[in-house]
Amino acid sequence: MKEKDNRPVYLNLLAIDLPIIGISSILHRVSGFALFLIFIIAVWMLDRSLSSEEEFLNLLEDLNSLVLLKVIFYLFLVGIVYHSLIGVKKIISDFFGIGEDLRSGSFISWIYNVISLLVSILLFIKFFI
Amino acid sequence: MNSTIPTEELRSITLSVYRFDPGKDKKAYMQDIEIEVPVNKDLMVLDALVLAKKQETSLSFRRSCGEGVCGSDGMNINGKNGLACVTPLSEAIKGEKLVVKPMPGLPVVRDLIVDMKQFFDQLEKVKPYLITKDEAPEQERKQSPEEREKLDGLYECILCGCCSTACPSFWWNPDKFLGPAALLQSWRFIADSRDQATEERLDDLDDAFSLYRCHGIMNCVSVCPKGLNPTEAISNIRKKLINRKK
Ligand code: SF4
Ligand code: SF4
Ligand code: FES
Repeated sequence: MKEKDNRPVYLNLLAIDLPIIGISSILHRVSGFALFLIFIIAVWMLDRSLSSEEEFLNLLEDLNSLVLLKVIFYLFLVGIVYHSLIGVKKIISDFFGIGEDLRSGSFISWIYNVISLLVSILLFIKFFI
Repeated sequence: MNSTIPTEELRSITLSVYRFDPGKDKKAYMQDIEIEVPVNKDLMVLDALVLAKKQETSLSFRRSCGEGVCGSDGMNINGKNGLACVTPLSEAIKGEKLVVKPMPGLPVVRDLIVDMKQFFDQLEKVKPYLITKDEAPEQERKQSPEEREKLDGLYECILCGCCSTACPSFWWNPDKFLGPAALLQSWRFIADSRDQATEERLDDLDDAFSLYRCHGIMNCVSVCPKGLNPTEAISNIRKKLINRKK
């Protein structure tokens, strides 16, 4: 038997073209995973905010003063926006077959990405400026 | 009479090719080869490789028909999978450099030649041939023009492998996810009015990996040199699978 396992496999993700739909799909996964992680913190925040009025006000205070908490909260919202928009696109194309050719699919992906970006910028302005 | 033969104007470009010789090299590396190409005539990437091979005779790649029919020269050209013989240099080249690598995700046998076994193993699983249960008729199995039309965009596949090796789902699970090329062929026979094994074919696809690993990324569609749409075929099968459960 010839040795087979020392054969190289070419796979350089950064050098291989990935059209917009692929990029969206990967970001969709990344945002999904990030949401899952941040969700734990969000549940903690919810728990705190519901425990008493005082805690609720404390949390608000923290949100305004602790930058890190603010950043996390911001990422949470951006993640939700992105994940749900691209998610809706996937559902639409799965169920209704819209955006199944390359041109319309890319077009829709662009639109959703631009919308997400705009919303993220708006949120950023609202949060930090 | 003045009969000077016009000399071709040439310019030089750099071809950067992926090299690996299993007898010599422990690791693959990129080699730059300078070649001269005509200024006012477009070549195909395959022509450029042939020119490079004149200098570097050990450079290996597969090719046969030279016109996009046999499907043997699929490779990764400046980041995008395609057939070297039908990809014009002018389209592929960025600046003065052309980067040519083997199709991603498959073991490299030598230079640009990959081992397509995984690809064909997956094709075999979808039984890419007509399955019939009735007795064969005297003459042929008839099909109306409308029924025949359903196979357009499916039968043209030349099994070059460009699509499956551009598919992230296939990179991660080349043994479990069938990949766009095999799924396109699966649909080609499910959609064929003469085929009588639709249910069995669907049964075979009804698991978490074979088909459902497709995330509709459409890398396959964007690279297919024949302009086919495996994503659409996959979603047609998916619809059949879902409707069958109702
Ligand atoms: S579908 Fe297109 S890219 Fe895929 S194997 Fe067939 S011809 Fe090649
Ligand atoms: S659409 Fe499906 S089969 Fe085509 S590249 Fe994407 S994941 Fe692969
Ligand atoms: S050499 Fe036959 S397809 Fe390119």
